[in-house]
Amino acid sequence: MESMNEIKRDTLGALISQGKRGDGRGMFDYRTINVQPGILQNPDGSALVSIGKSQVMAGIKFDVAKPFPDRPKEGVLSTSADLLPLASHLFETGPPSDEAIELARVVDRGIRSANIIDLSSFYIDEEKVLAVYIDLFILDHDGNLIDTAALAAMSALLSARMPKVEEGKIIRGEFTGKVPIKEKVVTCTFGKLGDKAFLDPSLDEEKGMDCRLTLATTPSNLVAAQKGGWGAVSEKEIMELFDISLEKGKQLRALLSD
Amino acid sequence: MDKSRIVMPGEMVAERPERIGYAFVDKGKTYSTVVGLYSEGKLVPLEGPYEPLPDDMIVGIVSEVRFSGYSVDTNSAYAAFLSSREIRERYEMGDTIFARIIKTDETRSIELSDAKKLPEGRLVRVSAVKIPRIIGKKNSMVDMIRANTGCEIVAGRNGYVWIIGTGDSNLAEKAIRMIEAQAHTHGLTDRVAAYLKSQKKA
Amino acid sequence: MVNGKRVDGRGVEDVRPMKIVARVLNDAEGSAYIEWGKNKILAGVYGPRECIPRHDQSLYRAVVKCRYNMAPFSGAEEHGRSGPNRRSKELSKVIKEAFENVIISENFPKTEISIFVEVLQSDGGTRCAAVTAAAVALADAGIPMKDLIGAVAVCKIDGQMAVDPGKEEDNFGESDMPIAFSPRTGEVLLFQMDGNLSREELSRGLELAKNASAKIREVQMEAIKKVYDEPKEDRFLLIG
Repeated sequence: MESMNEIKRDTLGALISQGKRGDGRGMFDYRTINVQPGILQNPDGSALVSIGKSQVMAGIKFDVAKPFPDRPKEGVLSTSADLLPLASHLFETGPPSDEAIELARVVDRGIRSANIIDLSSFYIDEEKVLAVYIDLFILDHDGNLIDTAALAAMSALLSARMPKVEEGKIIRGEFTGKVPIKEKVVTCTFGKLGDKAFLDPSLDEEKGMDCRLTLATTPSNLVAAQKGGWGAVSEKEIMELFDISLEKGKQLRALLSD
Repeated sequence: MDKSRIVMPGEMVAERPERIGYAFVDKGKTYSTVVGLYSEGKLVPLEGPYEPLPDDMIVGIVSEVRFSGYSVDTNSAYAAFLSSREIRERYEMGDTIFARIIKTDETRSIELSDAKKLPEGRLVRVSAVKIPRIIGKKNSMVDMIRANTGCEIVAGRNGYVWIIGTGDSNLAEKAIRMIEAQAHTHGLTDRVAAYLKSQKKA
Repeated sequence: MVNGKRVDGRGVEDVRPMKIVARVLNDAEGSAYIEWGKNKILAGVYGPRECIPRHDQSLYRAVVKCRYNMAPFSGAEEHGRSGPNRRSKELSKVIKEAFENVIISENFPKTEISIFVEVLQSDGGTRCAAVTAAAVALADAGIPMKDLIGAVAVCKIDGQMAVDPGKEEDNFGESDMPIAFSPRTGEVLLFQMDGNLSREELSRGLELAKNASAKIREVQMEAIKKVYDEPKEDRFLLIG
């Protein structure tokens, strides 16, 4: 309901313009973050992450697949997201919504651009490569699903093991060691209202804000970005938020075990 | 309270037929339909949806301005309507009101009256069955929260609680959540009092 | 089966280890998480809420809806596909029908009560675990019911009837029979079967299932009691 969002915008604006947030947080503070890596046995990697009351489960599965025709010697990386109806009264059953597709693609972009997995090492033979599937299961929605999902994906990858491949087939249940991950990529998502930005918007804040900006970073560089919603950001804001992302990245990486 | 015990859906509460809420009679015996506290012919649900009754005072949010009145969001599955003829004030979408239910029909549509617009504040949504505990005996709980936070608390029977004022609304919300989680326990009033005192900003 | 003991050392009446935690999600009205064997399943309940689409509505009662879904990473073998398939649609239907018998839906006309079950990890017997968790989630939401139901499957291994088949027993067993009982009345609310059973075997199977459901109910009630014995303001899912 669009007009209800306008009302939320006014109430939120009153707080934000004073540098305050509904739950008493600082403008660039994360809610409590909890990371549980490797909690499932069936997938090749898994993690359950919560930021505030948002909860996301990530599962990693390997399969043998045909390579893409334009990259015949490279493995395949595929990310998908399910905004489960049990996660929010706002989610309906049915095919993936635009929101789900955007979420999956943004998380994927950070991981892919930073080249944290050497996909050329997934080559098996002329017709076969290893495909790694990252599935994001959104279990509980209280805002900032992107950061929650991206952290879950990264944690799951760090917990993942390479399957044993014999004669072009995966021997399930046997592994040859951990998946070599070169870097830890993290995302920071900011909400914007007027000329004020704030980190890790809660669902209430998302309902009233103008737009969001997600920045995926390595310890020094930007590897992916996505602006969502209407409203604008200035160059100065992008640079400021980039600096804050690098700073906050340290907090997030510290939560990811090797 | 001391004699009450937690019962489960389908659990027998009496060997004879008792006509009490949240229970049903089957072959002469009475069974609970919910997770609740049972004592001496009374069953209090520990959880559950709001079931609107005439004379309930509720907190609602105007969701639509219509030709002859207003549609109001009451945190329930049922539409609530406030006729313009029942009130003197004029409302806008998003206004928060405190109103009385004057009528509900078999399809559970709600009619409201005696409405009053509430000042600027914020909304906390709690489980409707916990509201009596949040209000407290003779408003004792809401009075205690106000004294320690400077915020006026308006608790609607429908589970919407409106926190008014420029006081420490965060602390008020935390206290409300604490009461919601522990509504069924003993000694809650003392614990809430102690908590408010310890968190109160000087 | 060796010496009256099964592959994992259990007797024919023994159910695999089970753990249930209620109230693990923040937005859903009621929720529960179950670990049964290696199954890891999450159930969430919304409602009563407005029934959408309108034409599904009933003027006399709440419409009960159910969606059973498996995560693409839930199986031990290949990566599955997201979304409903024929099997999950069938399971959604039989699970919904079991609950329609116990939910007192006349109290909430024109609304819907939605049950969502997500299988995070599967290990044989997911539909029984789904029913068992969903019942706890419904109780957690305060939805009035005539009973707290649970479900368990019975199989035939090496000519003997045994309760709660694990994944291997599921694959190599001679029959599979998932059953949901209403413990209060002894009525059967979910009943499916494949395989080949004599009259005796059928009767024995039903008896085994009935006995097992009493034990399952204990675990469900413990999970619900814990919510009130150890009240928490924050809810989140803790696994392992």
